[in-house]
Amino acid sequence: MLKTIKPKNARTKRILKKREPKVEENVKTAIFVRGSTTSQVVNDALSDLCRLRRTNSINFTKKNNIHPFDDDTSLNFYCSKNDASLFVIGSHSKKRPHNLVFGRMFDGQLLDMIEVGIEKAITMSEIKSQKCSVGMKPLFIFNGDLFETSQVHKTFKNMMLDFFRGQNLESINISGLEYVISITATGSNVDSDSTASSTSDGKIFFRVYTIQMTKSGQKAPRIELEEMGPSYDFKLRRTKFAKEEVYKIATKVPKTLKPKKVKNIDVNEIGDKVGHIHVGRQDLGKLQTRKMKGLKRMTEDDQTEDWSRKKRKS
Amino acid sequence: MDVSAQLEAQKSKFKSINVEKQVPLQFDLGLLASFDTNALEENKLKTETDNYLKTYTRDGTQLLINEIFQLPLTSVQDVGVVVELPKIVTAIPREKPLPKPNPPTRWERFAKIKGIKKNKKSKLIYDEEKGEWVPRWGYKGANDDGSNEWLVPVPDNADPFEDQFTKLREAKKVRISKNEARRRRNMDEAETGETQKLENKSKAGAKALKKTELHQQISVAKTSTASLGKFDKPIKGEPSNTKGVKRKFEPNIGDIQKEKEARLNILNKIIDKKGEVLNVRKAIAKNHQEN
Repeated sequence: MLKTIKPKNARTKRILKKREPKVEENVKTAIFVRGSTTSQVVNDALSDLCRLRRTNSINFTKKNNIHPFDDDTSLNFYCSKNDASLFVIGSHSKKRPHNLVFGRMFDGQLLDMIEVGIEKAITMSEIKSQKCSVGMKPLFIFNGDLFETSQVHKTFKNMMLDFFRGQNLESINISGLEYVISITATGSNVDSDSTASSTSDGKIFFRVYTIQMTKSGQKAPRIELEEMGPSYDFKLRRTKFAKEEVYKIATKVPKTLKPKKVKNIDVNEIGDKVGHIHVGRQDLGKLQTRKMKGLKRMTEDDQTEDWSRKKRKS
Repeated sequence: MDVSAQLEAQKSKFKSINVEKQVPLQFDLGLLASFDTNALEENKLKTETDNYLKTYTRDGTQLLINEIFQLPLTSVQDVGVVVELPKIVTAIPREKPLPKPNPPTRWERFAKIKGIKKNKKSKLIYDEEKGEWVPRWGYKGANDDGSNEWLVPVPDNADPFEDQFTKLREAKKVRISKNEARRRRNMDEAETGETQKLENKSKAGAKALKKTELHQQISVAKTSTASLGKFDKPIKGEPSNTKGVKRKFEPNIGDIQKEKEARLNILNKIIDKKGEVLNVRKAIAKNHQEN
């Protein structure tokens, strides 16, 4: 649908180069889109999530007739036009009130999506507290064993990590650890229970707190939390999982980024670094040693003969 | 001197950073994430959700911060304490597929065969005139290709009235155009390289295609004479073209048995139709058609 642009000046060339596939990728861009009908709750939620993810996120305010679970093409077009690989679509209908669809793209195609319903929402502006600075990396806490057992929850966890992780950093300043996102899952395992449309089960609590560090007399500080950001009670609705082969290609780590294996060097139990040297097989018969005549092998008869010869000579 | 009492007093001033958990937490410090699989108290969650979540999260965050502070810390000037993060453990999908490496250029192929290795040149070069390190190329650079010479000695065998400066400038222009031509050629080769690869893959197919094409052309040439190749002398060993033949006639004098069998087969076909000799439906349809 998008026509390939041929760069006519250096500036467009630079933009296209930025959008090219790379070994180490850019930070993912997220778009926040509104469906054909939205409610105030959904609108606030979209703008709050956009603020949480300050950089590289675009909040669209116009309504679009978009149904992600039915039609892929318009979604693919939006995402490739904005060079975005994450999206949130908010909508509201009688059947699915206060609906949010979180999704990801890979290679211009839809990878996976999760639909959640907002049951209780408190916006950032309602909570009067100090907010964190822009563009900080959050800490994550996932509570509940459902995040290890249920396939849906695993996908949700992966998606949340992907959404809010920010830049890939090698080192971080301690003072930059300002806020924490806590996601708690309750309810029974959705996979095992096929009739899991019960209203009391399957809730996910989304909370954001700012961290205050105080002295503790030890290396690590004492942590106190204060609620900052939006607070939501989600209820899982539909999901669309990624196809296995596509997911495999998407999570492939290139050889250059894999940790290099160091061969023949290990650390033994005491802690010394030990190295192995592999010498080839030696043919000990052909070894060149010092020749000592006295050590030459002789039989007993030879020995006595020699002695007798010597005696006769002298 | 027993300092333990004073230590205890000191410790009690501060709040504890220890947290007790039944199942130890899993961490992915590259993402600053912790995964807690302990069971939550359902009734507390239902009655006083926010408070319970706050205290529970505080415990989890405390453990995460403890873990982070165990990583190597360095204090950087003007920035503060910086902690080195390890590599990410959880597999998060990329947004675009891995880039494919470019096909080797002409020079790269040649260098590979000859075993020529690239020598990395330093960006800065010592300029004797200026007496300092300047960039090898570019802005405020050394310009050692002779484009900005203020004095050019005339060589012995050159024309004394020739302008050496223009000569240098023209030589530079020639070099630039050659380089550009080579760059464009490399780009074209990179593009068509893929089509060449496809051709090579189906070499056998290409050969077969050529053979059939050749045969077609031969047969066309044969019939493009005045009498459509009917009275041409047939060449020894060449298969005769039976393309235009539509009907095959049996020879008049042949095997009697075979003839008998063929005729009886025809009869059987007519009578064998379960006693029906006339297909009424077909007869009616044909009658309709005729009328």
